[in-house]
Amino acid sequence: MAKLVLDNIAHSYDPNASNPVFALKQMSLSWADGGRYALLGPSGCGKTTMLNIMSGLVTPSHGKVFFDQSEVTRMITEERNIAQVFQFPVIYGTMTVYENLAFPLKCRQFPEDQIDKKVKEVSEILNLHNFLDNRAKGLTADQKQLISLGRGLVREDVAAILMDEPLTVIDPDLKFRLRRKLKEINDKYKTTLIYVTHDQNEAMTFADNIIVMDQGEVVQAGSPKDLFERPQTTFVGYFIGSPAMNLYECSANSENQISIGSNTFKVHTNINNTHSKDLKLGIRSEYITVESKLSDNSLEADIIEVEDFGNYKLITASFDSVKIKAKVKRELDIPSEKVILKLPAEHCCIYEDNKLI
Amino acid sequence: MSLLIDHISLKPTEEYHLNDVTLNFNPGKMYTILGRTLSGKTTLLKTIAGLQTPDSGSIKFEGADFLSVPVWNRNVAMVYQQFINYPHLNVIENISFPLKQRKMEENIIEKEVKEAMEKVGLIGFELRKIQELSGGQQQRVALARSLAKKAKILLLDEPLVNLDYKLREGLREEFKKLFSGSEASKSILIYASTDPLEAMQLNGDIIVIDEGKVLQTGSAKEVFENPATAKVAEITNDPAMNINKGHIQDNTLVMNNNVQIQIPDQLKSIPNGDYQVGIRATDLFLDDNGFSFDVEISEISGSETFLHLRNNDLKCVATIEEVKTYEANEVVKINFDKSKIYLFKETGELLHSPYQQ
Amino acid sequence: MPKLYTFLKYFFVILWACFVIAPFLWAISTSFKDFNSVTGGATYIPWLQFEPTLDGWSVLFKPGSQGGINIIGPYFNSIFVTLTASLISIVLGTLAAYALSRYTFKAGFVKNNDITFFFISQRIMPPVVLSIPFFLFLSTLGLLDSLAGLILVYIVLLMPIAVWIMVDFFNRVPKEIDETALIDGCNPFQAFFKVVLPNSVPGMLVAGLFCIIFGWIDFFFAFILTFTKVQLLPVKIVALNSSITPWWSLSAAALVSVAPLIIVAFIVERYLSKGNLSGALK
Repeated sequence: MAKLVLDNIAHSYDPNASNPVFALKQMSLSWADGGRYALLGPSGCGKTTMLNIMSGLVTPSHGKVFFDQSEVTRMITEERNIAQVFQFPVIYGTMTVYENLAFPLKCRQFPEDQIDKKVKEVSEILNLHNFLDNRAKGLTADQKQLISLGRGLVREDVAAILMDEPLTVIDPDLKFRLRRKLKEINDKYKTTLIYVTHDQNEAMTFADNIIVMDQGEVVQAGSPKDLFERPQTTFVGYFIGSPAMNLYECSANSENQISIGSNTFKVHTNINNTHSKDLKLGIRSEYITVESKLSDNSLEADIIEVEDFGNYKLITASFDSVKIKAKVKRELDIPSEKVILKLPAEHCCIYEDNKLI
Repeated sequence: MSLLIDHISLKPTEEYHLNDVTLNFNPGKMYTILGRTLSGKTTLLKTIAGLQTPDSGSIKFEGADFLSVPVWNRNVAMVYQQFINYPHLNVIENISFPLKQRKMEENIIEKEVKEAMEKVGLIGFELRKIQELSGGQQQRVALARSLAKKAKILLLDEPLVNLDYKLREGLREEFKKLFSGSEASKSILIYASTDPLEAMQLNGDIIVIDEGKVLQTGSAKEVFENPATAKVAEITNDPAMNINKGHIQDNTLVMNNNVQIQIPDQLKSIPNGDYQVGIRATDLFLDDNGFSFDVEISEISGSETFLHLRNNDLKCVATIEEVKTYEANEVVKINFDKSKIYLFKETGELLHSPYQQ
Repeated sequence: MPKLYTFLKYFFVILWACFVIAPFLWAISTSFKDFNSVTGGATYIPWLQFEPTLDGWSVLFKPGSQGGINIIGPYFNSIFVTLTASLISIVLGTLAAYALSRYTFKAGFVKNNDITFFFISQRIMPPVVLSIPFFLFLSTLGLLDSLAGLILVYIVLLMPIAVWIMVDFFNRVPKEIDETALIDGCNPFQAFFKVVLPNSVPGMLVAGLFCIIFGWIDFFFAFILTFTKVQLLPVKIVALNSSITPWWSLSAAALVSVAPLIIVAFIVERYLSKGNLSGALK
């Protein structure tokens, strides 16, 4: 177990070019021992590069990687105390479950009795103890993935388990089981788990701390709640949550008032110090309420469409030629043409140059 | 003009892939086949396309026998969940392939292909190779190819399931627009999906299928509000409707030793006995006066949190309208709206729904 | 540590490259030597250590009356037989493999996999087992000592390789591609020729490479099934051997006979990296 630190790293796959393209722009990050992290972002955002730098498959062109105090930047994967779980379960099909789990310890020449003890313990946690003598080939996909994970868990020296979209090949109903196991394991062993995914639901469900990446940069790191309620950039607002955050270009009127077209809104952000012309108001469709009459922070909009999702209704409407989406309870009666929507001031986020202020 | 499927069955091995399926499809309408993985959705679509032949039953299209018509003469189009295109052809060649196959005139082909490409937003990608496109773009090519054909029957087999979350959100909205166009009114649209929200959003007729058998057909609203059986209620809700055994005795609904409620007036006419009690996850809510449940795991989905709860043998899922991580084994107080209870017979048939007249 | 690793990596790669190239260099230098230079101990550098001569090479092209073996005729025979047999094997093998990959066959307990194995089982038997049946077969047809007879036998030997490689290849191409072609209005033959075949080029190149290699290097059947009218290169080269092993002309013959394979390998390699199915195999 150890703390992982990425110190001013950056990576370009072609660092000697006159104008190198960085897959990962310069950043520093540290991963606390025992944390449960998700690395989230669309494909091509640099998350796999970051993972490979931690596992040692890629040596960063700039910066250093530390495990606790010792620098490991140039160490190869085998020398780092890292376990990896890939998209597809890596198992030795002809071996039994027991042999699969014992393999990493056998390779390191641990004494028989110690191996036995550890394998039994880990298999218990993973609910694999009834299959120990079965061949790994015949197991279900999620059990196979658990074996891949178990091979990391049997080693006490493992500093972190890195998982690259580990649930891709798992059936939806088994995903639930596996995700729950992962949490339990993290609670019990306090092993740092780092989970890479492009799926926000998976990331938010799994991790305490989510690192959102976009175009080679970390755009926000925080708890699921933070990401949802106070997205640090408009990208996070778009990427997290369904539907995406409503975003409108606006102009500052006074210290805490903005206007979108002819509508003015109070906000809880001091916007006196903004300089940029690029000012945006963001609000989650969940926080927008339907009112019966106009009041502060409300507006009248023309309904374009009301979709019934069963669990909720989604109103799409337009005002001042921009679209607004509001998510409301299914039971709510919605007028057919015009609707009054309120944008509560406490939930309005203001973005200057796409960054939250 | 309609497509009539009459008592078709397909049983290649021990299990039915299709079990006595009878359906009627009319042009200008959107049909959603909703069912879990391996429930027979794909088999049904392939049978309509002519790629599989049922063991018994008949299919009639526009009054004529359809089974004796080979695939290549059926005038259907199909989009798969995998991104299936012709890898040796570029985008424009892919889309014009079926039209060339029909030996249509060059200038008509050109016009049709351009139109289809505009619809799906592929202008500018004409000469790209398929391998150079992202997953979303590849699926657009497949979609454009089937639109350009103007086939009388358009089959869509979970076309969005393999796409990234955000892409799926955007493309689904586009789909809805595409299929509400005037061209679409001339063809039969059949869309297979595992996602109840998707089925609700598409807002056509829903056909619920499980283990090769059609369980219910009806409008989205009807199927959602009055599911014919407990199984349908599970399949048409995400998270699945909570179905637990319950017992009615002297106006009290007993779920287990801890959870017992006075039954609401609408249920007073129900005789004493054992039932299956259903309640939607969205109808459960946090309430300090509610019943104590242990949290097994919490999952964040979009803007909601799914709490997987347990009270002794009583298990359920509650949807909480916020993004928050709950720890395993945390105790929460949960209550529910009594008027939202569904009752099913022990054999599964619907007995009472909150929406029943 | 990584520096040592890099050093070791290059060290072994270079070592291996030397190991592979050395015999060729050796053969080239030997082919320009004469009896004295070969038997007079190891020499490496022409003109300095030995006097290069074309004797070894000229033997290959001189007619038998002048003590040569004249390989030009056998050379073209070999090329013709190998290419024809490989081509026919690829065509038939691809068709058979496609059928085995896409359709279910069943005759009692015999299923697709058994049929595939039957094909490859032809290659498990030692050639000597097949030699007598082949001999009788060709003599019945009157094709002994003829190019046509050899081509026939080579097809039997090469087609299993093509089937084996192509079945595996087709199994990895999603059958939804063929289905889409059917839905788009192709009948099964059109689907095969317009869609499946153009996407099978990489597999066919690999299969073709193997067929050409195995066809080209065969000595045994060429030796048994031909006598005087028709001769193939490997058989002719063996005729070089006499009481004194003519290392110089053997080296020249070895170089001449390996040349077409090297050329084929380079061509195939270029095309292999070009064609790929990644777009379809998502």
